[in-house]
Amino acid sequence: MMETWTLLLGGFGTALQPMNLMWAFVGCALGTAIGVLPGIGPALTVAMLLPVTAKVDPAGALIMLCGVYYGAAYGGSTTSILMNTPGESASIMTALEGNTMAKNGRAGPALATAAIGSFIAGTIGVILLTLFAPLVADLALKFGPAEFFSLMVLAFVTVSSVLGASMLRGMVSLALGLAIGLVGMDSIAGIPRYTAGVPELIDGIEFVLVAVGLFAVGEALYSVLYDPKGENTQRNKLTSIWMTKDDWKRSWPAWLRGTAIGFPFGSVPAGGAEIPTFLSYSAERKLSKHPKEFSGEGGRGAIEGVAGPEAANNATSAGALVPLLTLGIPTSATAAILIAAFQNYNIQPGPLLFQTSGPLVWGLIASLYVGNVMLLVLNLPLVGMWARLLTIPKPQLYAGILVFASIGVYGMRQSAFDLVLMYVIGVIGVIMRRFDFPVAPVIVGMILGPMSEKQLRNALSIAQGDWLIFFKQPIACTFMVITIAVMFIPIILRKRGVRLSEDD
Amino acid sequence: MQKRWQVGIAIFILLLAVVYGVGASQMPSETGYAGIGAAFVPTVITFFLAAVGALLMWQALSGGFRNFTDSVAGLAADNLGALWVTGGIMLMALLITKAGFVVAATALFVCVARGFGSKTVLRDAITGAVLVFPVFWLFTLVLDVNLPRLFNDWL
Repeated sequence: MMETWTLLLGGFGTALQPMNLMWAFVGCALGTAIGVLPGIGPALTVAMLLPVTAKVDPAGALIMLCGVYYGAAYGGSTTSILMNTPGESASIMTALEGNTMAKNGRAGPALATAAIGSFIAGTIGVILLTLFAPLVADLALKFGPAEFFSLMVLAFVTVSSVLGASMLRGMVSLALGLAIGLVGMDSIAGIPRYTAGVPELIDGIEFVLVAVGLFAVGEALYSVLYDPKGENTQRNKLTSIWMTKDDWKRSWPAWLRGTAIGFPFGSVPAGGAEIPTFLSYSAERKLSKHPKEFSGEGGRGAIEGVAGPEAANNATSAGALVPLLTLGIPTSATAAILIAAFQNYNIQPGPLLFQTSGPLVWGLIASLYVGNVMLLVLNLPLVGMWARLLTIPKPQLYAGILVFASIGVYGMRQSAFDLVLMYVIGVIGVIMRRFDFPVAPVIVGMILGPMSEKQLRNALSIAQGDWLIFFKQPIACTFMVITIAVMFIPIILRKRGVRLSEDD
Repeated sequence: MQKRWQVGIAIFILLLAVVYGVGASQMPSETGYAGIGAAFVPTVITFFLAAVGALLMWQALSGGFRNFTDSVAGLAADNLGALWVTGGIMLMALLITKAGFVVAATALFVCVARGFGSKTVLRDAITGAVLVFPVFWLFTLVLDVNLPRLFNDWL
């Protein structure tokens, strides 16, 4: 245990270098901005920023990308509270109470409890990450290809079936992602597959193109088709952010409970922050001494209904870094794209990461502590500045997003054809949105698919073609059993009246 | 209308399965120690696509997708707006090598803003052009992405 703290101290040495501090700040500020803005999310932003990996050193780039990932969870609450249009789906629960509070003149305390709760949950989450990640990595060192393959199968199923309204439509998205992932050179035998003789396709389809097409162009087209003017949501007035003594007393336990619910959910491949924020909200509603204040009861908005879910949301993002760093398993589209960022440096997230790239990983973890402090400052005293972003009119906002997106896509290969391809993928994105197909499984399938094929073929090589290997080894077998069990979760949730939508 | 779209989506997935199946059947079947080769996973994904495609088709034909509430039912889609956005992207693709970066990106900006109902074309053109410079420098100087020159020679 002592060793962990020494390593973390070394990590702070990396994270506190002026350049890295600057990258952390850029990431946090950008993350907050895109969290606030509708129509642009962390997955898209991280994908667009991937070219940074060509120039900046790994520590700086990864610190910035993680800052974006992290900051988006902070910024999302501002939009939900002031506008009642959650910038990301994990803030839906925050919108419920937060917007009611804001309507009753208490926007300030709602924003404050969200920001402070995010800080506390984020910091506790990073402490838990510091403690658990090395342990999980040690355990995962014992994993062979069979264990990794079964773990990836579990991740596929959770990402595509737990999220979204229909397991079938989630599976369709996953199949689409897996199919796209197959294009290119097969990793074991080096045989080109589905390239149709086009040399550019041997490296596979650029997933920045797919991510930008699905998220940016898809979102813009959907928005222009069905909601060009924007709903006339009234913007609530920003009030003083000071919380009363009673606010503090009611927020504290909610923050801690939210963290306790969020972190474990993030650290298992259970897909997104939806379920923990929902669970936290319903826990607060049950435990509250002021049940009449909840908006569901026609009340003026209960502060614990903001504090709990926001804490859960941030604890989940911290928790999601555990499987990402120690196992190389992404639990969301953003996490999948972060894996691609590591791969651009020829670094494979997984148990060996802590041994081969120790200084990098500890620098990254240390930067999360720093990032949390930065985000608290950015989001609490400066909340008014971010709220002003919401005054950008929709036409210019989407025009700006598309300019940025198409430049990013064009810059990859200097190919005007890629812009047309991006548009076509965008049209597919619109159809998916229109018919409620989740988008995240496409990205996860595309990135995790080739990785899992490699593990599958290695596992079977070691076992001389014995398929029962996945059930003979206890750890692999456990993952397989959990996978089957997970398929029933959506059915149970739906019976209880919970309808989930995805988180990008 | 709804039903036709849903059937169409199912057909698309089934067609994809056919394409992937044909591709998989042409891959070398050498398997090595693993007992499976390069064609194995493509074959599995072909069957996966076929299975989910068939289920989608069944749902589409027997009362529509399950657990699906049409969130925009009854809303008239703004096709003209979408056309502006489409045109903007195509114009950008067309202009970027011909007219240089500023013109192409500004054209995209104006078209998209117009699609979303902006009536201030001149102001959008200025906003777009002003926005292009920092974005250009961000990509070329910070991210080290190669982009065409800001303006082409003939401009």
